[in-house]
Amino acid sequence: MTETATPKPLLEIKDLAITFSTPDGPVHAVRDANFTVMPGETVAIVGESGSGKSTSALAAIGLLAGNGSVSSGQILFDGEDISHASEKRFVELRGNHIGMVPQDPMSNLNPVWKIGFQVKETLKANGLAGDNPKQRVTQILADAGLPNPEARAGQYPHEFSGGMRQRALIAIGLACRPRLLIADEPTSALDVTVQQQILDHLDTMTSELGTAVLLITHDLGLAAERAEKVVVMYKGQVVEYGPALDILRNPQHPYTKRLISSAPSLSAQRGDKHEAIVDEIVPGKAEPLLKISNLTKVFDIRKGFGRKEKFTAVDNVSFEIPKGTTTAVVGESGSGKSTIAQMVLNLLDKTSGEITFDGEQIGNLSEKKLFKYRRRVQPIFQDPYGSLDPMYSIFRTIEEPLRIHGIGNAASRQKKVEELLDQVSMPASTMHRFPNELSGGQRQRIAIARALALQPEMIVCDEAVSALDVLVQAQVLDLLDELQREMGLTYLFITHDLAVVRQIADNVCVMERGKIVEQGTADQIFAAPKSQYTRNLLGAIPGASLI
Amino acid sequence: MLSFMLKRIAQLIPVFIGATLLVYFLVFATPGNPIDALSGGKPMSDATRAALEAQYNLDKPFWVQYGLYLKNLVTFDLGTSFSGQEVSALLGRAFPVTARLAILALLIESVFGIIFGVIAGMRKGKWFDSTILVASLIVIAVPTFVLGFVLQFVVGVKLDLVKPTVSGAATWGELFLPALVLGLVSLAYVVRLTRTSVIENKSADFVRTATAKGLSRRRVITVHILRNSLIPVVTFLGADLGSLMGGAIVTEGIFNVPGVGHLLYQAIQKGETPTVVAVVGVLVIVFVVANLVVDMLYALLDPRIRYA
Repeated sequence: MTETATPKPLLEIKDLAITFSTPDGPVHAVRDANFTVMPGETVAIVGESGSGKSTSALAAIGLLAGNGSVSSGQILFDGEDISHASEKRFVELRGNHIGMVPQDPMSNLNPVWKIGFQVKETLKANGLAGDNPKQRVTQILADAGLPNPEARAGQYPHEFSGGMRQRALIAIGLACRPRLLIADEPTSALDVTVQQQILDHLDTMTSELGTAVLLITHDLGLAAERAEKVVVMYKGQVVEYGPALDILRNPQHPYTKRLISSAPSLSAQRGDKHEAIVDEIVPGKAEPLLKISNLTKVFDIRKGFGRKEKFTAVDNVSFEIPKGTTTAVVGESGSGKSTIAQMVLNLLDKTSGEITFDGEQIGNLSEKKLFKYRRRVQPIFQDPYGSLDPMYSIFRTIEEPLRIHGIGNAASRQKKVEELLDQVSMPASTMHRFPNELSGGQRQRIAIARALALQPEMIVCDEAVSALDVLVQAQVLDLLDELQREMGLTYLFITHDLAVVRQIADNVCVMERGKIVEQGTADQIFAAPKSQYTRNLLGAIPGASLI
Repeated sequence: MLSFMLKRIAQLIPVFIGATLLVYFLVFATPGNPIDALSGGKPMSDATRAALEAQYNLDKPFWVQYGLYLKNLVTFDLGTSFSGQEVSALLGRAFPVTARLAILALLIESVFGIIFGVIAGMRKGKWFDSTILVASLIVIAVPTFVLGFVLQFVVGVKLDLVKPTVSGAATWGELFLPALVLGLVSLAYVVRLTRTSVIENKSADFVRTATAKGLSRRRVITVHILRNSLIPVVTFLGADLGSLMGGAIVTEGIFNVPGVGHLLYQAIQKGETPTVVAVVGVLVIVFVVANLVVDMLYALLDPRIRYA
């Protein structure tokens, strides 16, 4: 044993292997992983879903799923091997020694208990409630940056926005001042500006408390910006490990190189961009395929006892989409962007204004004309898990629109489904499978194939790639780009992610609270944003300052 | 909340009228003349027959009969049975017995159902869970009257642990075995419902987060899994109270319980419209009120639900 001047590591992962037993045999989720976290240091683990990044971190807090276990190697926390620690030991460690901030703020707070209660029980469980737990809870919530913490403590999670919930979860994670905080994609579900605020706040809090952070993320830009060291994981193995900036600027492993080239946050800065195809299809100025003028949507919000309040979700919005181009509508959650998509799809009635598609007003179409309109405009939705019927085979999913619209006979439809699968680069054998057998990216390809089945002229993509990993996201965006070039499709692309916009859009509308605050070509918006709001959005893209 | 409750109570009126009208019509349309049943098939002079028909309004058309019934109902006159007893008095004797029986059954099924369901759910795939699953399936599959007679014979006659039948007083103790029989099928459903709900909730993200906070396993189960899992169970239990009261006929028959089911059965046999309609009317009210209580409990258990 050699005593050196360097401090003892807080967390040391040594040759760690984690195995899940499944009906199909053991799955080695993590193999030969090695890295260390020093006290007070931030280390990021980067990788796509299934890379083993979350699994490694969860093993350190004893929260592996029931069928998973550490099959070899060691997890040393402050010198103690906790890889096979008892449940009792973990109950002692959790909260006051190792804290956690989980990924999805929507599902990680118990919906039936007040926020204050959920903070208080954390303190109680770790014997830190003190004489006046209520005051302590208020203080903790205030420290996490929740405005009006006393009233907030008495509210339920559903009364909080996503950002506020994440703050509450950070408050819970840090309530007992742990020495190590595991932050599992703490902001991936949030808007970029909120993400920035929350990460800034987390930085401040952990540096004040001297907490070490193990940050799990799929975004290399974010990792490099926030962490001192980065661990890149791929298929259960650590492929690269070292100081953050070294890895970003000088990646060694081919996977890291791919990750950097497809990270939207980074490419947005470089200005990689797809080519507009307007000129190839229609010489000169393109005709607007979709024209939206003075579109407004007002919702009635029930306030109890028959009281109603008006909420203007979309406020006097006008823009045009030229044929064969992509227009992105960008904004944070609640900006009204998805409401526009739903009105264009005629899934929601507008309050006032006009939506004109190919010279014809929609909104008061007869049933017969609406049916025809549906054939020309197709949607792709955000959630590739929720938007495919789990009881339908892939064949039935793609074939259904053809059958409803009475196109072809059984044999020709079968052939068409094969063609469509081929177009989205899926093997024809996929048609006999069911959605639960496919990955998120594969499902989104199926959703695209279904949208293409009716040979639409326009596709409305409502956050179509937001739920996907960066590499898969890049593939799907490439596919959409390719299809646009081949078929002259027009896209209305709804997204909260400016980085994605850079990759796909020709024109951009930036929305804030129902209004368009800025619109122009993608180049204009990125090179010379006029409104402060757009500048904020651009500035909040992680890793912006690094390249 | 208040306006919601008032609205729901106001809904009682059309539901009540609809249900009584339907029952009134069904009894009216039943073949056979109530007067024949009353005389026990003995010959009767036309004058006596006409007098009796007039006394019970049987000579009038359907709508008039029903209208007169409703009119009397407003003055809390439920009519008289053929034996000359006030229907309200009959109901007053039978209803508390069945209410005791149903409440006891509800208690048994909720306490044991939830406890077994939680244990089975937390130990999914272990021997306790498998045993519970098989046992509940058997209980659901075997008809109540078979279960009833078997339990009556084994526990009441062979083991002589309780009296096999219920006396006129129908005390809580005497009603335990009938209540168990009555609640057994629902108990099996409660177990399965709780189990499924617990299994679903125990893998929820917020349960993992609760564990990560350093809470003991016991607290995670009772505070974070149980309350969330009870939401669907409560819905079932509330709706079940109504079915228990209405469905007590078989159990009351087996154990000779002088309850509503017993009363209803006799009244149907005799074609005694006022009694049948009164019993059904009361059951309808119990059903609707139980559902209202469920909705209230629902909002209490799940703060996301707010009624306006």
